[in-house]
Amino acid sequence: MSDAPVPSRWRVLLTPRWIGWHLFAVAAVAGMAWLGDWQLHRALAGNTLSWAYTFEWPLFAIFGVFFWVKTVRDELRPAAAGDAAPATPARLPAGAASPGAGDAGDAAPDGAAGQDGAGDDDGQDGGPEAAELAEYNAYLARLHREARSHGRWHGLR
Amino acid sequence: MDADRLRAVMVRAYRVMAYLTGTMLIILCFVAIPLQVLAHSDAMVRVVGTAHGVLYMVYLVVAFAMTRLVRMRTASPGTVIVLAAGTVPVLTFVVERWVTRRYIAPALAGAPEPAPARAAAGG
Repeated sequence: MSDAPVPSRWRVLLTPRWIGWHLFAVAAVAGMAWLGDWQLHRALAGNTLSWAYTFEWPLFAIFGVFFWVKTVRDELRPAAAGDAAPATPARLPAGAASPGAGDAGDAAPDGAAGQDGAGDDDGQDGGPEAAELAEYNAYLARLHREARSHGRWHGLR
Repeated sequence: MDADRLRAVMVRAYRVMAYLTGTMLIILCFVAIPLQVLAHSDAMVRVVGTAHGVLYMVYLVVAFAMTRLVRMRTASPGTVIVLAAGTVPVLTFVVERWVTRRYIAPALAGAPEPAPARAAAGG
């Protein structure tokens, strides 16, 4: 999941949910173009206010296409919309389980060392503590999965 | 212009456009359209309606740019609500307050949003 090859990333766009969104986008853009055409006929029939809408609806349709392109690009490159750290979040769940991830950040490294159980600074291999850390790592991995697969909805929470 | 400055400018532009568009829509819906329906005078609808149409197009672009800069996802409900608010009377004002509290203030304070990004930002 972490380092998926390019073809499988594209395949995300062919899930039923995404196909539904594609169809919605096509219908919405077609609808806006149709409204523009309708306003053009009203304008030609003498309704001067319709001239404004004649130009507005095509512009809204163009914005709809632009919005769809941005959405698809967001889905294919989830980290690019945020700050300049695309690689590290993608590797985090794997990295959190390996001792090599010690430089990843402030919270994750403790979890990484603790879950691995190998000799580390803390030394304590306490059962409850290890379970807690494992739970925290699972939580991070789950967050990562959610941000990737349902990232477009995480603004809702 | 660095990223923080650009974000602050776009947030300000979004607020200006939200208030202009919202005010124009309130005038359109609560003054101009009643005049058209009750007094059969559509002069005001023509002016205010066209003005709102033009303002909304600018609002759409500015608001969309703002949502990107405060790290709202493109097809998230939040972004759609922000963009659609310019077509519903009074909603721009409510949404502006909500989006400020929920997204703009955390983004301007430099608070990282998702946990994976936070761990990455620390390194």
